[in-house]
Amino acid sequence: MMRALNSIQQRLSISLIAVLILVGLLLAQMSLWLFDQGLRRYLENHLQDEAELLVAALARGANGIELDQQHISAAYHRPFSGHYFCIHIDEQQWRSRSSWDFSLPEPAREGLMQDLIDGPQAQQLLIVRADYRRFGKNMLIVVAQDYTPMLDSFRRVQWIGGGIGLGALMLLVLLQRYLVARALEPLEQVRTQIAQLQQGQRAQLDAQVPQELQPLVQQINHLLHHTEDTLTRSRNALGNLGHALKTPLAILFSLANRQELNSHQELRDNLRSQLTHMQERISRELGRARLAGEALPGAYFVCATELPDLISTLAQIHGRNLTINWSAADNLRLPWDRQDILELLGNLLDNACKWAQHKVTLAVARDGGNFFITIDDDGPGIAPELRTQVLNRGARIDEQIQGHGLGLGIVRDIVEHCKGELGLHESPLGGLRVVIRLPAPNS
Amino acid sequence: MRLLIVEDNVALADELTADLQRAGYAVDWLADGRDALYQGASEPYDLILLDLGLPGKSGLEILREWRATGMNRPVLILTARDHWAERIDGLKAGADDYLTKPFHPEELQLRIQALLRRAHGQVNQPQLDVAGLQLDEAHQTVIKQGEQIELTAAEFSLLRYFMLHCGKIISKSQLNDHLYDGETERDSNVIEVHVNHLRSKLGKSAIETKRGQGYRFIGIHSDDR
Repeated sequence: MMRALNSIQQRLSISLIAVLILVGLLLAQMSLWLFDQGLRRYLENHLQDEAELLVAALARGANGIELDQQHISAAYHRPFSGHYFCIHIDEQQWRSRSSWDFSLPEPAREGLMQDLIDGPQAQQLLIVRADYRRFGKNMLIVVAQDYTPMLDSFRRVQWIGGGIGLGALMLLVLLQRYLVARALEPLEQVRTQIAQLQQGQRAQLDAQVPQELQPLVQQINHLLHHTEDTLTRSRNALGNLGHALKTPLAILFSLANRQELNSHQELRDNLRSQLTHMQERISRELGRARLAGEALPGAYFVCATELPDLISTLAQIHGRNLTINWSAADNLRLPWDRQDILELLGNLLDNACKWAQHKVTLAVARDGGNFFITIDDDGPGIAPELRTQVLNRGARIDEQIQGHGLGLGIVRDIVEHCKGELGLHESPLGGLRVVIRLPAPNS
Repeated sequence: MRLLIVEDNVALADELTADLQRAGYAVDWLADGRDALYQGASEPYDLILLDLGLPGKSGLEILREWRATGMNRPVLILTARDHWAERIDGLKAGADDYLTKPFHPEELQLRIQALLRRAHGQVNQPQLDVAGLQLDEAHQTVIKQGEQIELTAAEFSLLRYFMLHCGKIISKSQLNDHLYDGETERDSNVIEVHVNHLRSKLGKSAIETKRGQGYRFIGIHSDDR
C-alpha cells in the first residue's frame, strides 16, 4: 500500500519535472535567441552608421582620395580594440590601424554577414558590408565589431538562468510533493484504516472520505458486511440443521435406553453404537462446514478478552480442584476467526482438563510469522509410540474418558484449515503437551 | 426434587419426562419460552432443563432475565449447539451446566445429580453421602452401615429431598411443592405415610417431627449405631 502511494507521488514528480525542464529550456533558449537576433540587428544599424561616417571621412586630396584620420573614431586606432574597418576603392585599400595584421574578409553580399567570423585574439566579429558610390567611384566598406562581450554575457545569463531555473524547479518539486501528499491524505487515511482492519482493530472503514474515494470505501464496507452476513447466515443454517438432526438423535438415544430393551442387550448395543457413529459424523461434518478460516475484520481472536471467559467456562465444567493457567502477550490477537479458535482451544483444553490431575496450562505466543499454542497437563500423558497413532485420522484416544469425545477430530480439521501443525510431546508438568503451530496468513 | 423441562420438541420432552420420572423426579414440562420465563421463576423448581431454541423467547434471553431478577435456581442448558463460543455464551448468561444434544440419558442423570448436590453445598461427591447414609441413585436404594435397604419410588424421592436438606426444618407444604409436579393431587397425609415408612426402614430418630413446623432430617448418628 505504501509503495502504491509512493508511486503515485513519484509518477507525478517525474512527469512534472520533465515538463518543467522541457518548457524551461525551450523558453530560455528561445528568449536568448530572440535577444541575440535583436542585438545583432541593432549592431548592424550601428555598423551601417559607422560605415557612413567613414564615407564622410573620405575626401579628395592632393593624391586622389584620402581618408581623414582625424574624423574617425579613436577605437579604430587602438590595436585589437574590437572595432575594425576596411575600405576598398578600386585598387586602393584603407584598413583601420586597430586591425593590425588581421585582414577582414570581404563578404559576398551587402549587409550583415550571417555568421560570426573569427577575428584576432579569439574575438568573434560581426561584419557588415556597405557599398557606396562617391567621387565617381564604387566603394566597398567592411565594418566589424567584436561580438565576444555579448556572447560572454549571454553565457553568463545562461548560467545564472540555469541556476535560478534549477532552484525554482527544486522548490516546485518540494511544493508539489507537499501538495500531492496533502491531496492524497484521505488515501493515506484509508490505507491506515485498512491496515487497522487487517489487524482487527476496526470492523469497517470510515465513510467520511472525499467523493472520489467514496465508492471504494462503500464497496469495501459493503463486501465486509456481506461476507460477515453470509458467514452468519450459513452458520445459522448449519446450526438449524444440527438442531434438526441432533434433537431426534437425542430422542433415539433415550429410546435405546428404554427398559423394554433390557432383555435385548445386543440390540441395544447395536443401536447405541450406530447412533454414536451418526452423532460423531454429524458433529464433525457440521463443525468442519462452519469453519471460517482467516478472520473477518472485527472477528479476530483477542486473547485478553476471550481467554478469561473460556478458562472460567472450563473451570465451571470441570469443577473439581483444577488450576487452569493461561499466558499470552498483551494485546495478542490471533488472525483467525474467533469461533474457530475458541473451538480449537476449547476442545484441546477440555481434553487436557479431562486427563489432568490438578493443573492445566495454556500459553499463546507469536514468534515471527508463526503463532504457537501450547497446552500442558499433569495427567498420565501418552506414550511416545502411541502419539503418532493418536494423530492419525480416525484414531480416538480421547474416547476413553467420555463416550462421545470428538475433541481431536475437529481440532485436526481446524489446524489443517489454518495450514498449521499439531504436535504431541511430553509435558514438563508430567502429562501431555500439545503444541500447535499456526503460520500467520500473508496479508 | 421437582424439575422443569423447557423443550419445544414434544417427542424429546416426552422421553425426558419419562426418564426423569423413573429416576424419582417430579417433572413439569413447558414448550414456550414466554411461559417458561414466568413459571420458571414463580414455581419452586429445584432445577431447570432449558433448551436454547425456543418459540416465543430464546433460552439465553430467558436465562439472562432470570439471573437479572435474582432467580438463582440451578439451570442446565440442553441444546444442539455444541460449539465452544455458544457454550461460553450459555455459561456466561448464568447457566450452571451445559449439555449438548444428543446426549446419553445416563449422562444427563449424572449431571442433574451433580448439580443438585452442588446447589445444596455438597461439592465434588460422586454419591449423596449424608449423616451416615449413602444414597444409590442409580438403583434407588440407600446404604446404612453397609446394609443395602430397598426403597419404593416415593420413599426414594422423599429421602433424597431430606438428605439434600439435612438438618433443616421442612414443612409439609414444602415437601408437597418439591415432590409432586404441578398436575398431581396433593395430600399431606400421603407424605406422613411415606415419612413413617422411612422411619421404619432407617430408625425412628432419623426424621424428627417438629410440631406445627414440619420435619427435620437428622440421619443416623454414631450413638444410634
